[in-house]
Amino acid sequence: MEIMAILLPLAILLGGVFVFAFVWSAKKGQYDDLETPRFRMLLDDKKITKPTTNLIKEEK
Amino acid sequence: MEVCVHCDEVAVPPLYNEDDQSQQHPFCCQGCMTVYNVLHQKGLEAYYEIKNNSAVFKRRSPVELKSTQFKYLDDADFEKEFSYLDSTGYRTMEFYLEGIHCLACLWLIEKLPEFVSDVMISKLDLERSVATVVLKPEGKFSSAAKEFSQLGYRPHPLKRNQDVMDFKAKEERLALIRIGVAGAATGNIMIYAVSVYGGAAGQFAEIFNALTVILAFPVMLFSAWPFYQNAWHAIKNKTVSIDIPISIALVAGGLFGFTTLFTDVNENYLDSLTMLVFLLLMSRYFLQKIQEKGLSAQDLHYFYQSDSVLKATTEEATEFSEIHPKFIKSGDILKIRPGEFIPADGEIVSGLSYMNNSLLTGESEPVKVRVGEKVFSGTQNIDQDLVMKAEKVHDESRLGRLLKNVENGWAHRSRIVDLTNRISKHFTIAVFLMAGTLFLYHYMQGNVRHALEQAITLLIVTCPCALALATPLTFTRALSKASEQGIIIKSDEVIEKLAKIKNIFVDKTGTITFGKLKITHFKALKETHLPLVDIIYNLEKRSRHPVAVSLVEYVKSQAPKLVAVEDLKETIGQGVSGTINGHFYVINKSGVFEDDILVATYQVEDTVRNDSRPTLDKIVSKGRNIQILSGDRAEVVESIAQEINLPGNFAHSGLTPEEKSQKIKNTSHSMMVGDGANDAIALGDADVGVAVLGAMDISLRAADVYLTTPGLVPVEKLITLSEETMKVVYRNLGLSLTYNCISVALCFAGYISPLTAAIIMPLSSLSVLISTLIGTKELRSLWK
Repeated sequence: MEIMAILLPLAILLGGVFVFAFVWSAKKGQYDDLETPRFRMLLDDKKITKPTTNLIKEEK
Repeated sequence: MEVCVHCDEVAVPPLYNEDDQSQQHPFCCQGCMTVYNVLHQKGLEAYYEIKNNSAVFKRRSPVELKSTQFKYLDDADFEKEFSYLDSTGYRTMEFYLEGIHCLACLWLIEKLPEFVSDVMISKLDLERSVATVVLKPEGKFSSAAKEFSQLGYRPHPLKRNQDVMDFKAKEERLALIRIGVAGAATGNIMIYAVSVYGGAAGQFAEIFNALTVILAFPVMLFSAWPFYQNAWHAIKNKTVSIDIPISIALVAGGLFGFTTLFTDVNENYLDSLTMLVFLLLMSRYFLQKIQEKGLSAQDLHYFYQSDSVLKATTEEATEFSEIHPKFIKSGDILKIRPGEFIPADGEIVSGLSYMNNSLLTGESEPVKVRVGEKVFSGTQNIDQDLVMKAEKVHDESRLGRLLKNVENGWAHRSRIVDLTNRISKHFTIAVFLMAGTLFLYHYMQGNVRHALEQAITLLIVTCPCALALATPLTFTRALSKASEQGIIIKSDEVIEKLAKIKNIFVDKTGTITFGKLKITHFKALKETHLPLVDIIYNLEKRSRHPVAVSLVEYVKSQAPKLVAVEDLKETIGQGVSGTINGHFYVINKSGVFEDDILVATYQVEDTVRNDSRPTLDKIVSKGRNIQILSGDRAEVVESIAQEINLPGNFAHSGLTPEEKSQKIKNTSHSMMVGDGANDAIALGDADVGVAVLGAMDISLRAADVYLTTPGLVPVEKLITLSEETMKVVYRNLGLSLTYNCISVALCFAGYISPLTAAIIMPLSSLSVLISTLIGTKELRSLWK
C-alpha cells in the first residue's frame, strides 16, 4: 500500500491542474459567449470570391 | 409560387434582374434584389450557399431599404458617448443589427474587414444579434454602418457603459469559477468519503478524512461565499431568506468536519454539504442566465427607435444633415420622412400628411396634419415628408413625461418575497426549536458532548437543500420553455404573481384585433377593361396610406400582374389616380372608379382575430375576468366587444393613459396586456404587465412579460404556464419538506450518520429534479 503515498498527492495535483486551467479560461472570458463560436468554426473555409461579373448595375 | 431567393418570402409578383432573362432568381421586393446584387458584386455569394445549407434560426423578412448615410456616427460628440477603446486601444462600437437570422449572417458580418477598409475586426454575437466593430486608426464608423445597411441589416448603435459591463462580466466569470471549484472539490471528496464509508480503517481512514476536510476548505470559504453574504444581508435588513438556514448548516457542518481532524471520528458531512453547494450554485446560475436573456432583449429594444433624424442646417430649411435623436435641441427644424417616428413634440412648418397616433393615444384611424398643427413624439408619419420645429424634446415631450411616470411607478413597486423565502422563516425557527429540544433531551441524560453533537447533526441534516433547489429549478424550466414559445418573462417572481391574477385588462389593438386595417367587404360592381386586382395593385403599390397598404395586401393573394401606369398621382385626402391603357382610374374612400364610373366598393376595418373568442372563453372558464381598456372611439370598441361576446360594461373606450392606469390601480390582482405608449403607465401599474409584439420600447420597459406572438393565445398560455408551474413548485416544496421530516425523525431516533445523510440529501435533491422534469399533464401538453 506504499504506492498510495505517491498516488494520493498525484491525484490531488492532477485535480489541481484542471481546476487551475478552468479558472484561467473562465477569467480569460472563454465562456462569455457559448453560442457563436461553435458556428464560427464551420465557416472558416468559406472564402470571398473575386467579383466575377460587371453586368450588375451599380446601386446608388 | 415563386419564392424570393434572398429572404424566402413568397414573391407576388416576382421581380427579376434586367440581365436575368431566364428568370432564375425571383425577388419579392426591390430591397432583396439590391442586397442580392451587392453580395454578388462584392464576391460574397457564398452567403447563399451557407444560408441554404443551414437551419434558419429566425424567419427572415424582406429587406427594407433605407437611404441613411449614418453621418451622425462620425460626430465627435456621438463617438465620445457611444464608442470605447478595446483592450488594445482601438476605437470600438457595438451595433444591434436588425435582420440577423442565420449562420450566413454570421459569416457575412465577420468577413467585413475583408471588404471594408475602415474596419479591423468585426465580431457577431448571434444570440444577441450584436456586432462589435473595431476600427482601424483612421476609420469611420459610418462606413461600417453603411455597409451593414447595404447588406440588408439595420444597425442601431448601442451605448455601452464600460464599467457596468466589465463589472457584470467579472461577476459572471466569478460565479462560474465558484461553480467549477465546488464541482471539482465535490468530485474528489466523494472518492475519499466513499472509501471511508466502504470500510477504510486505521491510518487510511484518518488520511482520507483529513483529505476531505482539506478539499472542502475552498468550497466552504470561496464557493459558498454568496450564501453567507445573502444570509448576512437578510439578517441585517431583518428580512427572511432561505440562505440563512443554509448558511447555518454549512457553518455547523464545516466546524464539525474540522473537529474530526483532532478526534477519532473519521466521518463527516462535508461530502453531502459540498455537493449541495455545487447543486445550489448551478441552479441559481441557470435561473439568472435565463432571466438575463429576457432582460437583454429589453435593453436592446430601447435603441430600436434611435434611428437618425434629418436636421436643417440652413435657415430656409433647404439642406438637411443627419443627427442622432439624442442631440435634438428645442427650436431645431427637423424633416420627418414617411414611416419615421416623430422624435420630439413640435409644430408642423411645412408639408401635409397623415399621422398614425395609435401608439400614443390608441386611436386606430390615421389623422391628417397640416402646417401649424402640433405633432407629438412617438407618433408616426405615414404619408408625405413633413418639416417640423421641435419644441419640447426628450424628457419634456409628452412621451418623455409618460416614460418618467413609468419609471417612477417601477421604482415604487415593492418586490414580493417569494414562497421559498417565506417558508424559510418558519423553517429556521422550527429547526432551532428541534435542535434545542434534542440538545436538552440528551443533556438531561447527562452527556453534554453527545448532546452538542446531536444538535449540530440535526442542524446539518435539515439543511434545506431540496427546498432551495425546488423553486429555481422549476422557474428556470418554466422561463426557458416559455421563451421557446415566444413568451419572454423578465423575472421569476412574475410567475408567482401571475398565478394569482384575477382581472385581465387588454388593449384592443394587436391583442384582440389584428391591429391592422383589413379589407372586409370588397364588391366588384362592373366589368372593367383590366382585372380589378391589376388596377388596384399598380395604382396603390407605392402608397403608404394604411388603406392603400391593406388594399395591396388584399389583392396580392390573387397574383396581380405588373402594368405601366401613367400620371400616377396621390393626393392627400383624395386617394390615388392614374391612367392605364388610356383609361383613367381613381381609387379613394368611396371605391374604385374607371373613367369616373364606380366599379368596385370596399370596406376597411380592424378585424378581430379568429382565435380571440375561443381563447377568451377559455380564459373566462379559468375564473378570470377580461376587460377591454381602449383609447379608441366607443363605436369601434363596442362592436369588437360584441363580436367576442364581452358584456358592454366590460369594454371601456376613450380612455387616456392616466385613466387606464387609474382603472388598474383600483383593481387588485390585475394584469394588463398592451402595446402602445398609451398603455405604458398601465403596464407598470398592473401587478403583471404584458407587452405584445411590435410594442413601443417604452411599454417594453414597463412590462414584466414580452410576447413575441400577438393575440390572446399566448396570454392564455402564460396563465396556464404560471398556474401549472406553481403546482410543481408546491409539489417540490412538499417533497423536500417530507425529506426534512424524515431526517429529523431519524435524528431523534439516533439513527443518523454521515452515511445516511449522504444517501438522504442527494436523494431529496434528485426527487425534486425529477418532479420538475416531469411537470404536470398540462405543462407537458403546453410544451409539445
